[in-house]
Amino acid sequence: MHLTHTLELFPDHKVTQMLFKEVKNAAELRQSAVAGKISGALINPTMLLNPFQVLVAANKAVNLEKTGKMKTRSLYSEIIFNLSPTNNISEAFKRFGISDGDDSVLVVLVHNKDESQLLSDITAVVDGRQVSVEDISSLSDQTKIKKLYKITPQEEKCGTLLDAVVCRMAIKDVM
Amino acid sequence: MAQEDSMAVPEFLSKAELLKQGAEARVYRAHFLGKPTIVKERFPKRYRHPALDEKLTHRRTVQEVRSVLRCRKAGIPAPVVYFVDYTSHCIFMEEIIGSSTVRDHIMSARQSDSCKELELERLAERMGHILAKMHDEDVIHGDLTTSNMLLRCSLENGESDLVLIDFGLSYISALPEDKGVDLYVLEKAFLSTHPNTEALFEKLLKSYTAASKKSSAVIKKLDEVRLRGRKRSMVG
Ligand SMILES: Nc1ncnc2c1ncn2[C@@H]1O[C@H](COP(=O)(O)O)[C@@H](O)[C@H]1O
Repeated sequence: MHLTHTLELFPDHKVTQMLFKEVKNAAELRQSAVAGKISGALINPTMLLNPFQVLVAANKAVNLEKTGKMKTRSLYSEIIFNLSPTNNISEAFKRFGISDGDDSVLVVLVHNKDESQLLSDITAVVDGRQVSVEDISSLSDQTKIKKLYKITPQEEKCGTLLDAVVCRMAIKDVM
Repeated sequence: MAQEDSMAVPEFLSKAELLKQGAEARVYRAHFLGKPTIVKERFPKRYRHPALDEKLTHRRTVQEVRSVLRCRKAGIPAPVVYFVDYTSHCIFMEEIIGSSTVRDHIMSARQSDSCKELELERLAERMGHILAKMHDEDVIHGDLTTSNMLLRCSLENGESDLVLIDFGLSYISALPEDKGVDLYVLEKAFLSTHPNTEALFEKLLKSYTAASKKSSAVIKKLDEVRLRGRKRSMVG
């Protein structure tokens, strides 16, 4: 169900993604995350195409944390910020963070130990049905994504939508 | 947080497969975020002042990724950038799987017994077309050679895609002179790598001329630059 990937650049950092549908307590989850009671990023999955997009954001966040160059206050907010095509932090949270009425959520954890305890901690607080992370593409709102990232029709001819999105995320700091 | 951990990239590269050691950069192949990845690492040039060197290297890295995105937005294939580390000046990009350089392709086509003349002409036309598109976006590549173009097998129609790589010397300019010099650099490289291909290169230019909205001024500049080049070589 969940997906854990060890970051090749930072072998002592693992990124775990868990996807939930039919979530009933999004407001409560968001408050817990703001209060620091959930150590994870809570992401609105309709803005995501593929788990790879999250890995790109997480790898960049860890790298910036190590070099002391994060633009936000925590690793988890940095992951959300890195998903956004712009450098506007509050906009990034609005689009990519969860909102109180959301009925699906992707939880992203960065850890160095085995994930089993973390997984049960998360499933204990989320009132929803966990599904395979690979199902994320069935939740993606491609129209909204294309609009937000300003993807041109020509660009989709030379690669996938995921390619276009990832390339913008990787380069946004110098645009 | 811990600054010393910025050794992550060099440590990662020490275990990666080195593909090419150039004068300005090393190119590696590795697995990154689960994908086959090419890493281009620009290293310090010892003869330059460290601060100046750092600035130049940073600028080249930035120019390279900006040009890649600008090309892709216009529908010109270039490798997807996955990650940039501005500390070690590394660009992590998509590996174009199963690709060969246009250089190798032309060389083997010309060595084979069967006549590949028509296929090569078709390739030259596609090169002209893609460069016209790139110049119409005001991207100057800066280092056009047949090694900096890859052929990627496309599944749909059996014909392979051209992919442009190595934008390290690229910049943005609308000047016909800059575009003319870009083509002149390619002409020089093309004719010295592939002797006796003047007619083939003419095909490329013809296709460029037909495809670019602003080609006449560019070709005029190309002719001027060629003339300058010839005069210089006559003088000595
Ligand atoms: N994105 C890529 N995908 C596949 N091969 C590449 C890629 N980038 C570079 N190469 C190979 O590495 C060589 C050197 O790269 P470069 O120094 O960028 O010209 C090229 O001639 C290609 O054979």
